[in-house]
Amino acid sequence: MNTRPPPSPSAAPPAWAAWLTALREPEVVLRWSLGDWQRIVRLGRRLRLLARLAARLQADGLLDQVPAPAQRHLVSELRLSGWRTTVMVRALERVAEQLQGADHPLVLLKGGAYIGQGLPIAAGRLPSDIDILVPQAALAGALSRLQAAGWVGAELDAHDQHYYEAWSHEVPPMHHPVHAVELDLHHNILPPVARTHVDAGLLLARLQPSSWPVWQVLHPVDQVLHSAAHLFLDSDLTDRVRDLVDLDGLMRHFGRPCADPAFWAELPRRARELGLAEPLALASHFTTRWLGTPIPLAVQAVIAMQGPSKARRAWLLPLLAAALTPTEPDAMPSRRQDLAALALLARYHRQRLPLRWLVPHLWHKMQTRNRVTHHGRDDGR
Amino acid sequence: MTTSPAPAAPNLRALQPGELARALAGKGLWIDLGAATVRVRSDSAVFAAQLGTVYGELPLADQGVWADTHIDIRRATGLRRWVRPQVVLWCDGQQPFEPFPADSPLPLFEWGCNWQIAHRLNDLLLLHAGAVERDGLALLLPAMPGSGKSTLTAALSQRGWRLLSDEFGAFDPQAGVFRAMLKPIALKNQSIEVIRAFAPQARFGPEFPKTRKGRVAHLAATADAVRRRHEPARPGAIVLPKWEAGSATRWEPLAEHVAFPALAFNAFNYTVLGEAGFRAAVHLMRVCPAWQLVYSDLDDALATIAATWPAVVQRHAEALR
Repeated sequence: MNTRPPPSPSAAPPAWAAWLTALREPEVVLRWSLGDWQRIVRLGRRLRLLARLAARLQADGLLDQVPAPAQRHLVSELRLSGWRTTVMVRALERVAEQLQGADHPLVLLKGGAYIGQGLPIAAGRLPSDIDILVPQAALAGALSRLQAAGWVGAELDAHDQHYYEAWSHEVPPMHHPVHAVELDLHHNILPPVARTHVDAGLLLARLQPSSWPVWQVLHPVDQVLHSAAHLFLDSDLTDRVRDLVDLDGLMRHFGRPCADPAFWAELPRRARELGLAEPLALASHFTTRWLGTPIPLAVQAVIAMQGPSKARRAWLLPLLAAALTPTEPDAMPSRRQDLAALALLARYHRQRLPLRWLVPHLWHKMQTRNRVTHHGRDDGR
Repeated sequence: MTTSPAPAAPNLRALQPGELARALAGKGLWIDLGAATVRVRSDSAVFAAQLGTVYGELPLADQGVWADTHIDIRRATGLRRWVRPQVVLWCDGQQPFEPFPADSPLPLFEWGCNWQIAHRLNDLLLLHAGAVERDGLALLLPAMPGSGKSTLTAALSQRGWRLLSDEFGAFDPQAGVFRAMLKPIALKNQSIEVIRAFAPQARFGPEFPKTRKGRVAHLAATADAVRRRHEPARPGAIVLPKWEAGSATRWEPLAEHVAFPALAFNAFNYTVLGEAGFRAAVHLMRVCPAWQLVYSDLDDALATIAATWPAVVQRHAEALR
C-alpha cells in the first residue's frame, strides 16, 4: 500500500481562482477595480459562471454597486439565464406529460435535477440540455414515446448508430422543433463498457422526490458522485471549472449542518460501493483547494485513502490541474495545457472503450472530421 | 458604458501608414461604437489598412480599461500562413468561427463583431433594423430579407439623417431611447453601385467579391454621425421598406398586427429578454406610427419619408405636452 498524505486544511487557492470566492462571499466584489471586472466578465462568461455570480450579487442586493460597464453584462447574463431556465422548465413539463404513467422511475440528472430541487446552484445556470435517466429495460419504450411526441435524434451514420447502441450509456441527443433544448436519454451515468462500471440498479434503488411529481432525482450522495464521475471520467476538462463549482455547491448544500447528518460518512462509503472512489478523491482534492469546500478533515482523509495511489497522483493531479486551469482571456492556450489536454483525452477514450473498439472508432472520427474540414473550406468564407 | 477618448486624439484616417497597424499589434484599438466598445488587436497589415478605410472618422484610442467585446484577428499559423493563407478570429481565448481568407479580414471582423454584440448585450432590446435619427427621433427600418433595408438606411445616412446603425435598432428599455451602434453599413451586390451613384461623396472600404453573402462593400459612417454617437434618439417612426424593381413609390399605413411581428420577431434577442422585451416592443408600437414603403427609386422614397416627417415630429411634440 502506498502512503497517503495527511489532508491539510485548505491552502489558499491559485491566484487565477481567487475571484471565485465572490460566488460565496459576494461582498468581495466591492473591492474589485474596473480592470478586475473586465477580466472577470470575460473569463466568467466563457466559463459559464458569470450569471451565477450575477445571481448571487442580485440575491445579496449588490448588483447596483457594480460599476456600470460591468453591470450591464451581469444583467445581460441574468436575462440569458432566466430565458434558458424557462425554456428548460417548459420542456421538462411537456416531457413529463409525455412520459407520465410509465411503470418505471423517471429520473432527472444534473441541471434539471438542481432546478427540480430548488438548490442554490440552480440560480444563474445556463442549461442547454435535459438529462433523463430510466432503467435500461425501459429505454426503448421511453424513446418511442418521446419520438411520438416530436423529439427527433440527430442523423447518424451506421458507425455512430452502432456506437450508441452497443457502447454508450445514452441514446443520441434529441431535439424538438418547439423546445430550444437538447434531450439526452440515459440508462446509466457512465458507458456500460467503461473501466469504471456503475451498477445503475444501485442508483435507482434510492431515488428521492423532486418538486415535480413525475420526476425523481438521485440520492444527494449519488448526485455528488455522478457530478464527479461525469467531470473526471466522461469530459473534456477545458473550461470546466463550473463543474467544480457545482460539486462545491452540492457538498455545501447537502453537507450543511442542518441537513442529513449521515451525508459526509455516506459519501466515501457509497463511492466505494459504486466504484467511484477515484473521481470522488479528485473532486475532493480540487474543490477543497480551489474553492475551500468545507469537507470535514476526517472525511477528506478517508476519501484520499481510498483514492488514487501516490504514484498515480503524482502524474494525474498536475495534468488535471493544467487542463482545468482556464486560459486567461487575452492569452492563447499554453503548450503545457495543450499537452495536458491531449494526455487526458487519451486517458478519457481509454477509460470509455476497450482498445479493440477504440482504435477503429478514433480512425472513423478522424476521417469524418477530415471530410467536415474539407467541406468547411470549400463552401465557406 | 464606453471609454471616452481624449479630445485631442487624431482620427484614424489622419494616421501615418503603419501607425494603425502598430496600435493593432500592440495593446489594440478601442473602437467606441456608441452603445458598445470593441477592443480589436491584429497582426495583419491587410486588416489595418481595411479597418482604416471604414472607421476613419473614429478617434484613435490605443489604450482603455473597458471594452464590451474583444476581438483578435490573427494570421493563421502553420501551412495556412503560406498556402491559401487565412485569418482567424479569436475572442476571449476561443476561436468561435471558421477562418476567412487572408485578404478578407474586414468581413470576418464585421461579421464576428455583430455576432458578439447580438449575443452579449441583453441589457438592450436589439431589433434587427436600420436606425437613423432626425429632430431627436429615431426612424426604424426593420429588416426583411431582400427588403432593401441597408440600401435605404445608407441613402438616408447620406442625406441629412444621422446614422445610428444599419444592423441594430439598439433600444435601451430603461431609458426609453435608441442608442447608436455605429458600424459601417455592409452593402451587398448591386446596392453597392446604387449607393455609389446616389452619393458619390460616400466613403467605401474595399470590395470583397466572394463572401458568403455575395459581393460586399462597407460604407463608412459620416464624421457627423461619429461625432454624435453618444446622443440618444427617442422612438420616432417605423417604416417597413420593400424594394420592388420598377415599382412606383407606395406609402401605406401599416396595421399593428403586421408591424409588431416585423419589429419583435425579427429582433436578435426578443425572446431572451422575456417580459422586458415584450413590454419594450409594445411600447414602441404604441408611440411610433408605422408605414410600409414600396420603392424602386431612392430619391422618390426619401422625398416620401421627408414629406411625412413633420407630422411625425408634431405627433411626438404633442405627446410630450
